[in-house]
Amino acid sequence: MVERYAILPCNGIDKKAGRLSGEIAISICEKCGSGEKPGGGSEILCPVFYRVSDKKYNATAAENPLIVIDGCPTRCASKLAAEKGLKISKKINVTEEARDKNFELEAGLRISEGDKRFCDKVASDALENAPKNEGGTGAAEFDIEFDYETYNKDKFIFRLPKNPGFLFNENDCWAYVVGNRARIGVTDFVQKSLSDILYFFPPDIGARIDQFGEAGSVESAKAVVELISPVSGKVAAINAALEQNPEFINENPYEKGWIAEIELADLESDRELLIGYEKYFEIMKKKVDEFHV
Amino acid sequence: MSETTFMGVEREKIDWKPTIDYAKCDYCMECVKFCPHKVFEVRENEAIKLVVKNPNNCVVFCRACSKTCGPDALSFPDKNETTQKIKQIRKEMEGNG
Repeated sequence: MVERYAILPCNGIDKKAGRLSGEIAISICEKCGSGEKPGGGSEILCPVFYRVSDKKYNATAAENPLIVIDGCPTRCASKLAAEKGLKISKKINVTEEARDKNFELEAGLRISEGDKRFCDKVASDALENAPKNEGGTGAAEFDIEFDYETYNKDKFIFRLPKNPGFLFNENDCWAYVVGNRARIGVTDFVQKSLSDILYFFPPDIGARIDQFGEAGSVESAKAVVELISPVSGKVAAINAALEQNPEFINENPYEKGWIAEIELADLESDRELLIGYEKYFEIMKKKVDEFHV
Repeated sequence: MSETTFMGVEREKIDWKPTIDYAKCDYCMECVKFCPHKVFEVRENEAIKLVVKNPNNCVVFCRACSKTCGPDALSFPDKNETTQKIKQIRKEMEGNG
């Protein structure tokens, strides 16, 4: 079994339940499979580090189903997740689990063999009913509404989604990663440069696409523009609605105007040549300024 | 004005430009009309009427002009090789930084 989660334990070091939250996190990770396998490998988010720096964990937390593990009813991990605006897929409360499983939490802070068996059981139970994020056949669940930064130029408004799961290439295409899949599409810069999009030519489902390979194209009265894929992988789905309604790309190229879903082949390698929203926003502004001169 | 860098790498260090196969090109000039980056130049009074004048204006990984080419006379470098080259240059830059 290879699944991938972001796991946020409270990791409270001064209480047994907090100590066990960390142990359960490790146990879940071990059960999820190796991080060396594509799509495998969950990641534990250190709450102490996450509190002082968003950068390291934001993408992991946004791209994978999040399991939050609280030790006690103070719910420090849940509160941290809320502060960071994260969507929680599964919650575990160690104190409640112990009560439900008739397990007595001992006073000391050392973790005993009995504690380890308890943690292992909690981890197994959690994975059994946690939302799955497996690749292949099952479609990933993509959000359909995003928060936008905008750049106004004359009467035109250029939007860019700020959500951490978004990655961009300098060819004005985006990928929104969830688990081992990504939706891809063009940015507002492309659709506004083209004006009314009249035709949509999708990539073939099942086709393998390299990073920066062509993943379909769109055509307006002005020009044909190909979507230069930010990620490598296999085309798992296309947005069939665009064949009848290519104008969806003009209306919102990040939401109902998405082009295709890619089963990711090697996101870590692809990332080397991708940028986040902040960097792309600067590039887009420059292109907009030059385009309209 | 064109981009001077791509992914932080100086544009002139990246080999990405169209190559015209003059055996196929019929000088329809569709590519010239299409490309907004002035990569091509028309030379009406010369034997070779179309040249790649500004290769570094070409948007890295863009192959759109080749779609307008009826006789299929435009070709581009291998994008995987280009990708690897860019990654290599970036690594060297990190090393020097």
